[in-house]
Amino acid sequence: MFEKFSKQIWWKVITVIALLYTVIYGFLVKIPDLPILEQSIRNLFFHVPMWFGMMLLMLSSLIYSIKYLSKGKQRDDVIASTTAMVGLWFGFLGIFTGSIWARATWGAWWVFAEVKLNATAAALLVYCAYFILRSSFNDPETKAKFSAVYSIFAFVMFMVFINVIPRLASSSLHPGNGGNPGFNSYDLDNHLRMVFYPAVIGWTGLGFWLCSTMVRIKLIERKLDDLD
Amino acid sequence: MVSIERIVFLLQKELILEWRNKSLLASMLIYVIGASFIVYFAFQGRVEFQVWSAMFWIIIMFSAVNILGKSFDKEVNNQYYYIRSVIPPLELIFSKLIYNTGLLVLFELIIYLEMALFFGIEIEKQGLFFLTLLLGGIGFSNLFTLFSTITARTGNAVLLSVLGFPLILPLLLLILRLTGLSEINDITLGDQNLNLASVAVLDIITWLLSVVLFPYLWNE
Repeated sequence: MFEKFSKQIWWKVITVIALLYTVIYGFLVKIPDLPILEQSIRNLFFHVPMWFGMMLLMLSSLIYSIKYLSKGKQRDDVIASTTAMVGLWFGFLGIFTGSIWARATWGAWWVFAEVKLNATAAALLVYCAYFILRSSFNDPETKAKFSAVYSIFAFVMFMVFINVIPRLASSSLHPGNGGNPGFNSYDLDNHLRMVFYPAVIGWTGLGFWLCSTMVRIKLIERKLDDLD
Repeated sequence: MVSIERIVFLLQKELILEWRNKSLLASMLIYVIGASFIVYFAFQGRVEFQVWSAMFWIIIMFSAVNILGKSFDKEVNNQYYYIRSVIPPLELIFSKLIYNTGLLVLFELIIYLEMALFFGIEIEKQGLFFLTLLLGGIGFSNLFTLFSTITARTGNAVLLSVLGFPLILPLLLLILRLTGLSEINDITLGDQNLNLASVAVLDIITWLLSVVLFPYLWNE
């Protein structure tokens, strides 16, 4: 599937258009008049879609890790590690944009009371460990196998961490958690929705575009080294 | 397919080997005593229960890395081909998990006795606390046993903490909440059961992942 899509052009065009639209119209669109949030609500077009993109990238990393373990093709390992790398990068961007948003609305760059924030930071640490693990093997087969196993383990724990723990904890500052109003009430505003959905498409598309380019480069490098 | 007899035999082998070479056990014993003693001195012998339980579990976590980190050294480095030819991987991981859980729970009890003695802590709900110890021991040993295969292969001892610590966090958080509950008298039973259930589910998840993924690491 990855190979099929990576050489097609149509979704890259959509990505570019969606991103341009997000960046330009995201700053022009009429926003609802909300206390505290005010102009910072425009971060909705950056922060949230980056998380979505990260989740999807990590998910594809998981799928290709499982694929590697069952079939043993080096290609799958290349794709799994690349998607994890871009996903990690998106995660850092998400934390960065979230931190700016937190400063504007919650009053601090980093808040302990916010479980989601800390859970995500730990999850990013897990993926950093994944790359440290990869770098400590010389043999590509062993590297691929061990990191695939770790990646499967990591993804499951990551899901538990991001989705289960914040729900058990009673306090959270995020919308929709711990008694805070969800974004549904804002989403009802059609102006926001008109930018938000294209933003999700745009950022996710950008993530996969980066991946497909990096995978192609790595595969060509492998060919040049006569590994395939 | 999985023979109970062979698992019991493997467990016996582990016990005999451990007993024959007592230096590892003794050094771990001194390690946990030393760690608790340092904590005792650093806090001047007087802490709140919350701080006590945090220190308690952190000591357990570090001990677990040290105790379980070497659990596959012999198998991977000296006897790999022999063991691989006579024992299916599932039996090996079952026996290791059982043995490591037992060993870890034993050390947890030792650490608990010391920390309770030093700080004069009395747990209100003993039953809940010991259940937490057991569940925590199972979860920790599931996780670190699997990863000790990886570190045995690379020979990099720091890797176990790097790989394990971020992944142990969700479990550690839940366990800390549960330990906190064992000190409060008037908690609702529903709250307690929800926390117990989530730790148990996490134990089952880590157990399943270890058992499913171990053969891939082993047959390499």
